[in-house]
This record gives sequence, structure tokens and C-alpha cells, in this order.
Amino acid sequence: MSISKSVRYLIALCALVFMAGQTRNTITPAQESTPIHSGADVVTTHPYVSLDPVPRGKEFQVAVVVDINHAYHMNSHKPLDSYLIPTTLTPQLPNGFKLVEAVYPSGQDKKFPFSPDKPLNVYSGNVTLRLRLTAENTAALGATSLPLTLRYQACNESACLPPVKVPVKVDVKVAAAGAEGHSVHPEIFKASK
Amino acid sequence: MKKSVRALILAAAALLVATSFFGCGSHQSSSSSTEPSKNASGLANEPDVTFKDLQGKDVPLASYKGKVVLVNFWGTWCAPCRGEIPILIDLQDKYSGQGFTLLGVATNDQADVVTPFVHNTKFAVGGQSVTMNYPIVMGNDDIDTKFGGLIGMPTSFLISRDGKIVKRYIGALANSTQIEKDIQSQL
Repeated sequence: MSISKSVRYLIALCALVFMAGQTRNTITPAQESTPIHSGADVVTTHPYVSLDPVPRGKEFQVAVVVDINHAYHMNSHKPLDSYLIPTTLTPQLPNGFKLVEAVYPSGQDKKFPFSPDKPLNVYSGNVTLRLRLTAENTAALGATSLPLTLRYQACNESACLPPVKVPVKVDVKVAAAGAEGHSVHPEIFKASK
Repeated sequence: MKKSVRALILAAAALLVATSFFGCGSHQSSSSSTEPSKNASGLANEPDVTFKDLQGKDVPLASYKGKVVLVNFWGTWCAPCRGEIPILIDLQDKYSGQGFTLLGVATNDQADVVTPFVHNTKFAVGGQSVTMNYPIVMGNDDIDTKFGGLIGMPTSFLISRDGKIVKRYIGALANSTQIEKDIQSQL
């Protein structure tokens, strides 16, 4: 056996053993190489803050960009049927922070093989969820974490994953009232009200 | 040189096989002692489970021995699960007189949500508007595990008259062609 043949043999063997391990209790969509073990595997989240620092007394925004596995979709915040579980982003704010408004984008109406006549309103690809918040005068100065919970329920073309709650942590820096807060990540927040 | 490469390959292969079979992989269950025994197809052999019906009474799966059972894991929150219910109603209509029954296992659901759904939601089957015509019980994580673990809904298991899982169906049934063949082969 030549070295190059040996290497090819080893690579093929590794691939077979790896695939055998991966196919246990997973959904592997035909067009998707990453196996899905639970609803939490369907998304990755990227949190952003609109101001750095956030002056006390000032409104600011938090955005969570949600990248959804391309073989999956999730119900939008306003699904067309009441039985469907909506996507929500809920903050667990520490003292000194106040939620002004949660801003959800519209979903897309799409038909699926399991619902050929009636469309579902869904998010797919990537979607940006925003929270308008205020740092009040009682907010602790300095670095603080804002815990959020993203809840959603995802499906592919033929099956659904149970609903999940995914924790998201956003780091903010609070400054004294009147301090200058610099706008950051304008590409994320440019659509803000 | 050749010998050392061969030795390296053998060592790597042995390590990979050991990792795969002895649970060193990141996707292995952490509760292997509770995992059911599995048949050659990798399906749980004979799940020893007791469900609760919608009134909270025990329903052992073993009480269906002697019948062919299609255990259908579903949820009221799951659109594809709802989409295949007309097919399941039709299967129950066609084969319940021949020693077959469907058993719906509501998963990630609450009995007070499932009960009105079962009694009130109508489905179009054969030109008629009908409610679900097969027994519904409640599922839980332990039951899922004993069936070998569930990821997507719906998932159905065809169980032979002697209580053994013979086939698993992941995802919504598009039609009844294959599953009817499978049911008939067990009757």
C-alpha cells in the first residue's frame, strides 16, 4: 500500500466512523451537513448594543441577530395560527433598566409540503430582533450584563423540533447622565425608530 | 516508512472505532444505563413504557400486545403533525377492525390543551369532516428515551403484535402508500 493510498484509506475510514456516530438520533437534512440534535442547534445568536457607553437617562437599543440553519424556519412573532408558538425575545432586566418596546420584523408567508394550501408566517435565513430600552438614573455605572431569553420553535420541510428557550447575554457599559454615547453598529440599528 | 504508516493507520482506526462504540463522542447519551436495547436496525427493541391517558390513567404499551400498533409522537403546536392526522384517521378507519390501532402520543404538550383539540378539531377525510378517531396519551422525556430518543415531530413507530418496534418514520407522512404496506405486512 503506497503512502498516498494509505492516507486516502485513513481519511475514508475516519469519514465513515464519524458519519456512523453522527446519524444516531439526529436530523440531518439532505442539504445540510451539520446534524441537528435539538431546537437549540438551529440558530446562532449575535447580540449588539446601539450605544457605547449608554448614558443614564438615555434610550438605547439591543439587537439580537439570529442566524437560522438554512434547512429550517421558525414561526415569526405573529404566526398566522394561534396554535403555533411565536418567536419572542424577553429581557430579564436588572434594576435600573426599563423595556420600552420589543420590535420584531414581519415574517414571510411560505407554503410547505405539510401545509400545501395554507401558508405559515415564518422567519428564515437571518432575522434581527430588537429591544428598545432605557438606562434609568438608578442603573449601576460600569459594565453590566443584560440577560435575554430567545424562545422559538423551528421546523424543516417535514418535521418540527420542540420549542426551546435559548439564553442570550448582552454586555452594556453604563455611564453617568450627560456622558456622550457613541453610536455603534449602525448597520444593525439603521432601521431603528 | 511503510510499516510506520500502517501502524499509524491501525492505531488511528482503533481509536476511532473505540471512540464511536464506547461513548467518547460528544453526541453520546449521558444516561447510557437507561438506554433501551436496540435491534439490528438501531431501533429500540421493545419499549417498556406506561403512558398516561388524557384523564391521567395508566396505559401500558404492553396492554396493546396482540395488536399491530402505530405509535405516533405528535404535538398540537406542530404543523406537520397536524398535516398528517387525516392520513392517520384514515389508517385507523381502514385497519382497526383487523387487529391494528394507532396510538397518538402528545409530546411537549399539556393535557388541558390536547383534550379540547382531540374532541373539537375537525379534519377532512374522505370528503367528511371528522375528529381524531384513535386513542391519545401523553408523552414525556422518559418515554422518548425508551423509544430510543426523539428529535423531530412527528415521529412514528410501527410495533408488531409481539410488542417489538419494526420500523420508524421521521417526519410527516406525505401519503399512506408505504405505511399501509408496512401495516399490512404485520397483520
